[in-house]
Amino acid sequence: MKNIFHNIGVWFGDLTEVFCNEFKIVGHDVGVMLFFFALPLLYPITYTLIYNPEVVDQVPVAIIDNDRSADSRQFVRDASAAPAVDVVGYAANLNEARQWMNEGKVFGILRIPSDYASKIATGQQATIEFYADMSLLLRYRALLAALTDLQLKQTADITLRRVNTAGIESAGIAKMPIDSHHSFLGDPEQGFASFVMPGIVILILQQSMVLGIALIGGTSRERRARNRGYDPMMIDRAAPSAAVWGKALCYVVLYIPMTIYVTTCIPEMFNLPHYGSATQYLPFLFPMLLASAFLGQALLPVMKERESAFIIVVFTSVVFLFTSGLTWPRYAMNELWTWFGNLIPATWGVEGFIRINSNAATLAESSHPFIAMWILTAIYFLLAWWALAKLTPRHPRLAN
Amino acid sequence: MSIGLKATMRREVGRLSSRRIYLFAMVLVPVLMSLFFVDLLGEGLPLKIPSAIVDLDHSPMSRTVTRSINATELIDITQKLDSYEQAIAATRRGEIFGFFIIPPDFQSDALGGRTPTLEYYTNMTYFVPGTLAYKGFKTVAVGTTGSMVRSTLISAGVDPETVGSLIQPLAVDTHPIGNPWTNYSYYLTPSFIAGLFALMIMLVTAFSITTEIKYGTSAQWLATARGRMSVALLGKLIPQFVIWFIAAMFMLSLLYCYCHFPLNGSMLAMFAATVLFLIASQAMGVLFASIVPNPRLAMTLAALFGILSFSFVGFSFPVQSMYGFIGVFSWLMPVRYYFLIYINEALNGIPLYYSRWYFVALIVFPFVCSLLINRLRKACRQPVYVP
Repeated sequence: MKNIFHNIGVWFGDLTEVFCNEFKIVGHDVGVMLFFFALPLLYPITYTLIYNPEVVDQVPVAIIDNDRSADSRQFVRDASAAPAVDVVGYAANLNEARQWMNEGKVFGILRIPSDYASKIATGQQATIEFYADMSLLLRYRALLAALTDLQLKQTADITLRRVNTAGIESAGIAKMPIDSHHSFLGDPEQGFASFVMPGIVILILQQSMVLGIALIGGTSRERRARNRGYDPMMIDRAAPSAAVWGKALCYVVLYIPMTIYVTTCIPEMFNLPHYGSATQYLPFLFPMLLASAFLGQALLPVMKERESAFIIVVFTSVVFLFTSGLTWPRYAMNELWTWFGNLIPATWGVEGFIRINSNAATLAESSHPFIAMWILTAIYFLLAWWALAKLTPRHPRLAN
Repeated sequence: MSIGLKATMRREVGRLSSRRIYLFAMVLVPVLMSLFFVDLLGEGLPLKIPSAIVDLDHSPMSRTVTRSINATELIDITQKLDSYEQAIAATRRGEIFGFFIIPPDFQSDALGGRTPTLEYYTNMTYFVPGTLAYKGFKTVAVGTTGSMVRSTLISAGVDPETVGSLIQPLAVDTHPIGNPWTNYSYYLTPSFIAGLFALMIMLVTAFSITTEIKYGTSAQWLATARGRMSVALLGKLIPQFVIWFIAAMFMLSLLYCYCHFPLNGSMLAMFAATVLFLIASQAMGVLFASIVPNPRLAMTLAALFGILSFSFVGFSFPVQSMYGFIGVFSWLMPVRYYFLIYINEALNGIPLYYSRWYFVALIVFPFVCSLLINRLRKACRQPVYVP
């Protein structure tokens, strides 16, 4: 019995020693500090600056007005009043307008037919042609939404006028029989930074941590290669299971201020959606930090040298961005990529954090990703343990 | 071909084949990533968005609305809920991306002229499904109103032919040039694969040059090239280019031949652009290694540049809408020009004339990037490794 307690005591002693030593290792390596501190500090600011204009507006549009009537001019005035539309000029014909489009001067063409006013006046349907440049969907979407709104507004005006002049007001349709109303949840202004940033900051946390740990691991492997398998800067006599915990806790402790910064300060600084409560999302993100800390250590076998981290880890950020479902929803992926995404802590971190931060969900409502991240913590702990045990030379415990 | 160049190339082939990390970075990553994007975004549009309906009326008319929502290809009603609160909770749990509420007494209010309001909510925290769900719901809401007006007017004795023009006096005929399916994959797949190529090329180029300095083999490298830095670089980069070229040819044939991505312009233009793009990216790697002849710092620059290029270059958010001081960075990245050529040549198929400056820019990269090779020569003669 005494022996068990003694062993547990030794285990925690090892853990504490590794934990304290790891701070020294991080503090002595500028490269690691760059990943651990500069990256989470500066990347979110850079990204927000890129996307901060939020919405695409004032998209240049060319007009081909074949009607030149009061009605068609009114239509152009209404169109250019929309924030998304910037009428830059009148083209004589479609060829000229297409040429402007090819030169990148306009991204949309509106052609008003020569019978526009007469059709409106005689109660027929008038058709406006809209040619859209599809080089970016966001521009097309902005123009299309503006045109749809314009069309609905004009429809309501013209219909009411016609119905009234037709003398069928008594039928009780002086107003529309059904009204509809829409609300956008989470990102009411449909801003691009507001949508993309809550997910990106979580991905930055995981990736910067894994990069830093991989750099530590690769550097240690180089030292081992020079010292016959031993790393004089690590506590090699500690039990591997205690060592991976000691290291992981060190990284998590270092990342607590970073997590508060990216999840609380960044949304406040840039006025991004921030409806969730810190008491919900900070505990939620704890297992993600822990799982990432073990994931980074589990990669040790492939980190043969200090610079391996760049080649092996950096490109995965793009992959994880997609598997997290931020740009492409997860329900539309096939089984393979869904499962691959399931194995990445940030997938769950992004999903849960967005729900809490932007939709004001509670920790209880995010229990599914929360539990998944704890399972990943267990899996990556076992892998990290195995990796370290494999690489640390067997060493008789001297101080017993 | 000079003896020095031949010897350096032979030496480089030996180095490339002696380390598995080159196989991983130059073959495995580009090939697997191309397959990843093509497969992941295969459908091009994430249809059948999981959504909920809150039907508080339970009338024939409300069931018709429900059916017509479910009939759109955009929406898949996965849940039928009884209140707004339930629907919000399901949204927060991530089960649905939007919901549609039919108010109580919908049918009797609509028929009695009391104008009921249909409400729909979409979760914009996920942009693509949120946008598409909004589109699907809006279509149904507008369509329901239209059919309601139609039946009221017809029952009021209006000629069915004039009803159509009364309901929709103004039609907009939309022509989305080049991508009428609004396929997202046409933008994401080629641009992200190209971005990954650029990232890996810059990293590997910087890695292969600076490891010579790290392990003190740079003097020997330079000596093999008879002391000429330009020959040393060519000898190193030509064998690497051959590998990148093969990987890129795989990517091009996967996109345009196997997956039939739009190629409305000439294949030759895309081919030339790809070759120039590979070379320009290699040149960027050389530039980083020349600025900081140290493996970690050069690769930090390459990674920073490569990762930020996915955002700066404006595949999704247009450069024209960014702040001016941010937008200018996009012009420093080869992948920006490659993307613009792709849009002009492959997607829009407009004459090569309109892309001429993009080609010029890609050609200029290697020349500008080789301005600092004297600095690199100095570092290679007296290699100093800073961890």
